[in-house]
Amino acid sequence: MALSIDGTGNGTIGNLSVTTATGNIVSSGDSGTITASMLDGGQSGSAPIFGARAWANLTYNQVISNSGNVSSVTDHGTGDFSINFTTVMPTINYATVAMGRTDTISQYANDKNETLVCLAKGRTDSTSAVRIVSMSVYGSPHSYIDAWELRIIVVC
Amino acid sequence: MNSNKKILYQTEEGGVAVITPANNCPLTVEEIATKDVPAGRPYKIVDASEVPTDRTFRNAWEYQE
Repeated sequence: MALSIDGTGNGTIGNLSVTTATGNIVSSGDSGTITASMLDGGQSGSAPIFGARAWANLTYNQVISNSGNVSSVTDHGTGDFSINFTTVMPTINYATVAMGRTDTISQYANDKNETLVCLAKGRTDSTSAVRIVSMSVYGSPHSYIDAWELRIIVVC
Repeated sequence: MNSNKKILYQTEEGGVAVITPANNCPLTVEEIATKDVPAGRPYKIVDASEVPTDRTFRNAWEYQE
């Protein structure tokens, strides 16, 4: 029996199938791959889609403006910090994209005093956090600086 | 709000690490400390207002028990 309800009002659903679903319904055979046809936006092409497993928008002094799957940010020192995941990544072989902004002062736009963000040198990968450094590429030698803003995405 | 608190611990290099909890994290500050402070390392939870906002000499900050 596909649907049964006992005397206490508790229900059980078994062998339920969806035969007329369209759009963003994964109807069968969850392979872990999201295809364009599973989305609602009329996306074209057959290339698979991979979602972000964590993301964060940080501002100066490690203020977390917004984030997903981020429990906290560890400030290790000037320009050196970790993004800690609420739920760990399934592998250390994830991809990280991070961008920093030096400031928002329009007077100094295009002066090339930009902020470069890198995976921290000499640190091992972890499924629970990613450690990154931000540095100024202005002047020599380069030095760590605290980015005015930092945005990061983790995908795997 | 989680971000009203900071979690402090001494780094391996002798400096101080400052953890800012995310407000939208479902964990408590204590749970975040347990998870995000390196295992076995002492830490303390303080009001965020106790951490300096002037970062000019950030790398000279020291952890005090």
